[in-house]
Amino acid sequence: MTPPSGPDEFLDLFDGQDAEDGHTVEGRDSADGPDPARTEELRPWSISELNARARTLLESGFESLWVVGEVTNWTRARSGHCYFTLKDDSAQLRCVMWRRDAARIPVDPEEGSRIRAFGSVTLYEARGDFQLAARELAAEGDEGLWKLAFEKLRRTLEAEGLLDPARRRPIPRFPGSVGVVTSPTGAAIRDVLRVVSRRAPWTRVVVAPARVQGEGASSEVADALDRLSGSGLCDVIIVGRGGGSIEDLWAFNEEPVARAIARSSVPVISAVGHETDTTIADLVADLRAATPSAAAEAAVPDREAVRELLARIEPRLSRGLRAGVDRQANRVRELRLRMVRGLERRVEPGRRTVDRAWERLPNAIRRTLAARRDRQGRLAGRLEGLSPLSTLSRGYAVAQDATGGVLRAVADFQVGQAFRLRVADGEVVAETTELKPGEGVTRPPPANETESTHGDRHE
Amino acid sequence: MGIDMSESGESAQNPGLEDRLARLEEIVAALESGELELDAALKLFEEGVVHLRETEALLASAELRVEELLNTAQGDETRDFGRGDGS
Repeated sequence: MTPPSGPDEFLDLFDGQDAEDGHTVEGRDSADGPDPARTEELRPWSISELNARARTLLESGFESLWVVGEVTNWTRARSGHCYFTLKDDSAQLRCVMWRRDAARIPVDPEEGSRIRAFGSVTLYEARGDFQLAARELAAEGDEGLWKLAFEKLRRTLEAEGLLDPARRRPIPRFPGSVGVVTSPTGAAIRDVLRVVSRRAPWTRVVVAPARVQGEGASSEVADALDRLSGSGLCDVIIVGRGGGSIEDLWAFNEEPVARAIARSSVPVISAVGHETDTTIADLVADLRAATPSAAAEAAVPDREAVRELLARIEPRLSRGLRAGVDRQANRVRELRLRMVRGLERRVEPGRRTVDRAWERLPNAIRRTLAARRDRQGRLAGRLEGLSPLSTLSRGYAVAQDATGGVLRAVADFQVGQAFRLRVADGEVVAETTELKPGEGVTRPPPANETESTHGDRHE
Repeated sequence: MGIDMSESGESAQNPGLEDRLARLEEIVAALESGELELDAALKLFEEGVVHLRETEALLASAELRVEELLNTAQGDETRDFGRGDGS
């Protein structure tokens, strides 16, 4: 405590302001009652009085402000309040961050890191400590605190392979049921329902309500995701919320949500309404949509598109069917051709035999006939030479009765009987006029007969 | 003599070429032996002449038939191919 100078400085400072703005002085007076410093300069101040006065002066004297410095001695008490010190090369500032505000920071700042704290200066009267009651923290420089927290979790998940694009599952083209994890009262659920009922009204929408911002939001979202995924009711899940500040969206940058998305049994579409920054949920999800409406459009097909698809499928089906039939018909044709060819191959030797037979048969039959004709000709020649009548040409004649019987002896004749005489060039019809049996000739040779008949004829 | 005199008219009413030729062989052989009675020889000779005439007719008709058949068959074959190609 350096009592006189500190308060005096502030007094000087604020006296100046007071001169211009009597209102502040009025306020101070009314807050603290009669001003003992002015009326009774010699009466000593109690500590309480002094600290209360100093606090009032401090709180009314400073606008809320940003302070930059290096963090040391960061502690988060069990109450949730955070205490730390900001310092630079030559000075320190005690800081406190009440639980309500501390719950909204993504990570505790690291020891020694440079941060900015936004808050108001005050005095902790019980200890007389001058301090800053910080309401917001930000990392100094490029890397904001949010960014730091984001990167830290991203690295962890990446190391586990949960951000591998190969893990992303395709979104079903025609889901029967879509699950939605979001606030039951927010714009997101209304947007999703509107899009689904417009595009694919046959789709069932199952909502698992969850608070999407504030303390504990990320575990609520994670629980809702687990419930939906485990229910088996959904073919795809949309998780998200409408737009908001980075703090509002922070639940979707927290580990519970990321892990719930990663272990979901059905594909998850993230729809955190913040187009510029990617959330951890976006990285882990199977598909990232910029808004809940876009997520719904990605989740369900447009019914016009479905109708067109069906219209295109019909002719393709019938074409496919016809192609199948054609293929079978071709196969049958080919088989028939091969069968015919096979048959022809089988028939060919026989055909060749028949052809050869056709060449040989005429000659064979002609040869056969010629042989017979030869034989017959030879027989004819031989028969000709053997004619018993051939002797007739030498002057003999044969007597024959009407029946053709040969008349050999006188006894064969009767007087008056007609007979035929066969001569070399024909027949003579004769009649027996006289019988003259021969003397010594008992065994009449044909010559005798002939002679006798001859003789008859001469008579 | 082993020649059968009865065969001519009776056993085969219309004997074929082979039968007739065989019979002719018998007749010629019998006549050539010169041991026949004249009337038997005459009868055989007359039968032989009948066989000769018949065999001549049979041969002529057989030859004609063969040629006809061969011509017809070749003609049919050609026509068959023609039909086969056309149908």
